[in-house]
Amino acid sequence: MTRSSKKGPYVDEKLFRKVQKQNETGSREPIKTWARACTIVPEFIGRTFMIHNGKIFHKLFVTEDMVGHKLGEFAPTRMFRGHSGGAKKEA
Amino acid sequence: MPRLAGVDIPGEKITVVALQYIHGVGAKIAKDICEKAGLDPQARSKELTEDQLSKITSILDSEYVIEGQLRRQVQQNVARLKDIGSYRGLRHRRGLPVRGQRTKTNARTRKGPRKTVAGKKSVKEMR
Repeated sequence: MTRSSKKGPYVDEKLFRKVQKQNETGSREPIKTWARACTIVPEFIGRTFMIHNGKIFHKLFVTEDMVGHKLGEFAPTRMFRGHSGGAKKEA
Repeated sequence: MPRLAGVDIPGEKITVVALQYIHGVGAKIAKDICEKAGLDPQARSKELTEDQLSKITSILDSEYVIEGQLRRQVQQNVARLKDIGSYRGLRHRRGLPVRGQRTKTNARTRKGPRKTVAGKKSVKEMR
């Protein structure tokens, strides 16, 4: 189910304000955020974010192609290291 | 056997069905084409005249993305997802389902034939 277009994209307000402030001051500091559900809007292009994945912050430089996606899509929350015994086959 | 959109040669079938042999043309579009070109959807496609064929071709060219162009478009969309390093791109790269389906069982369309792992508990053993 997609979000109602009446509402427009979900953008985390606090984060958006931070980005606007950066755009004014011209600061390039990465922004730490937990707002994984926040949609990437054109204002974010060229900004660097540190997106929390539950454990660490993933660095992400936003490009034009990423507009419309959510921040969380770029910070994987699970790490698959392979099944046990998988290494034995290699050796 | 009439020839449409390059390589496609649908034959003994009725027109609406034959048109669906073109990549990117399904039931809906096939029906729409028949309507726009003023064809009988139930007539065998071999009975189509040159005139009707060229009419279909012009409709296909102007209104729909089909065959190679469509394949390329899909490819590009997937490549974009991979390129920007998104989760969906990652799933495409690993050949796993992209839209959050379960992978504990099923997902065979994406994963391909079963690769049996020795020592893995079977369903019978787990009970």
